Amino acid sequence: MVDTSVAKQLVEAIIGNLPAPVPGKRPVHTIGVGVKGEFVASDVARTYCVAEHFNGQTIRLSARFSNGLGGLEQHDGWSDVRGMAVRFHLPDGTGSDLIATTLGEFFVRTVADFFEFAEVAKLEPYRRRHWLLKIADFLRLKVPPRNPYPNETQSVDAGALRYADRHRFSQLGIFQVGLIGAPESYARASYHAVHTFWVTAPDGVRRPVRFSWQPVAGVRNIGPADVSRDKYLFDELRDRLQRWPARFMLMMTIGEEGDALDDCTKPWPATRVRVAMGTLTLTEVPEDQEAAGERISFNPCRLAPGIEASDDPILEARLGAYEASREMRGGCPFKWRKDDANAK
Amino acid sequence: MPSDEGPLDRLVDRLPGTRLFKFLASWILVPYWARRTPVQPLQGGPHPSFEHGDNVQCMMNLIMPLKVKSPIGRAEAALAIAQNKDAIFAGLNNVGTVHFARFVIVGDNICMFSVYDGDFTNYIRDFIATIGSVFNAVVELVEDGEKVTPCEKNVEAFIQWVHERDLYQVPDTATDFLRDQEALNGDRAVSPVKDDLTQLPRKLVLQLRANANVSLGSGYRAYPGFSAAQVRERLGLGW
Repeated sequence: MVDTSVAKQLVEAIIGNLPAPVPGKRPVHTIGVGVKGEFVASDVARTYCVAEHFNGQTIRLSARFSNGLGGLEQHDGWSDVRGMAVRFHLPDGTGSDLIATTLGEFFVRTVADFFEFAEVAKLEPYRRRHWLLKIADFLRLKVPPRNPYPNETQSVDAGALRYADRHRFSQLGIFQVGLIGAPESYARASYHAVHTFWVTAPDGVRRPVRFSWQPVAGVRNIGPADVSRDKYLFDELRDRLQRWPARFMLMMTIGEEGDALDDCTKPWPATRVRVAMGTLTLTEVPEDQEAAGERISFNPCRLAPGIEASDDPILEARLGAYEASREMRGGCPFKWRKDDANAK
Repeated sequence: MPSDEGPLDRLVDRLPGTRLFKFLASWILVPYWARRTPVQPLQGGPHPSFEHGDNVQCMMNLIMPLKVKSPIGRAEAALAIAQNKDAIFAGLNNVGTVHFARFVIVGDNICMFSVYDGDFTNYIRDFIATIGSVFNAVVELVEDGEKVTPCEKNVEAFIQWVHERDLYQVPDTATDFLRDQEALNGDRAVSPVKDDLTQLPRKLVLQLRANANVSLGSGYRAYPGFSAAQVRERLGLGW
């Protein structure tokens, strides 16, 4: 496991690059909304994984949707990675988490990569590119950098691009961040857990897998003209759920020998076997958001028996970094095992 | 905060969407950059791979320009397919590894689109063995087709001929497209490198100039990873 000092350094590296860190809050994905719902596994899910939430019974769950940016400023209309963290509440009182974002692949492979990225991709003043330079870009058949969003004065875009130009492994993730856009609704985006996990079937067969949530309502982003809409996602989700539940399908892709099992910067081919593992139904945005979303401490390595983390170094680092972050913000600890007396 | 956007900014932002810019880019900028930074066309067909999932449900997108570019030429092609329908169906059944196959006329091209399991070379070899006569009938109507017919007597040349007309399959991710171009140029570095990601649009445009017909992405599959034989067996089709 990544030691606690490194985990703290990771969190501090993130906080150090924020425009306005907010003590007592998550350093990134600070703005979010907690939602209640339930999950029902498909008929075939139990044949692939013995984890309790895949045995077909209705499982209560807590989800938190978030904007990726750190800090309390809410800019829903800005292009940004969105998060969907899910806690499956298992009948024995423990939980299993699945943390996903709208980013299909991550942009660093290891902790060392991350520290280098944090060093290169610092917040820098961000200004509109002069029109003459844009014409020069067009003449070179290049796409000029985007215009600043309303009230945006700083960005990590230039540094991230410099990093990508030096490291090909990072290019896909950084390229995707640049194009990701803003969803019309949190319920109208696909979310990917990016890391590889191992699932164990009843016959003992272990398979490397990757999980994604796919919205039943379909994927849809807002148009560029709506980029100045700062606050609409929470209300949209609340209104949507008052009218009708929102659903996501949990898709599980099974890796093959030769696929990147421990490298979350590499996608798997679209030709891999894909299994529909179940349906998540979001039912309600609770009034008490402190309990429903802010106090919950998710961790991508909190996994029910039957699911294991791979040796992906970023996944391993997130185990410690999420715990360090939870301690720093005073988040609620959670039972990792049945005999865990320190938590509730 | 007041916007620093002036009229010239607005004008320039709209420029790429204008017909004038698209005309100038198509007829001046693209030819200029194609001369300045020439690109080789990327090869068609699936990437070689040992993984099972990559060797089932492979795509072949064959575009073959007809010799006679008129309704007469297109009718000849349609007739060649219609006259050989039984032979095509029986041949495909015998090949056994084909999920679907169809012929399409687009403009003055006869196209064959198919999804098959296994190695491309063996796929074409099987075709020659089972429906070589149909291929001969079609390929004789196609530009340069006479060089490789009868295909039974020109097996290797015929396979190469088909491969050259199989469309480049643009990867699912933009950066894998860059990796394809780098591999073609013998550049397999990962890190550190001195790339310029902002050149991606130009590289794509120039590749599409060199390779006018391409297949976009690896396509959707309802049941990826399964061969035609597995699907038939599970459905109990008595194959």
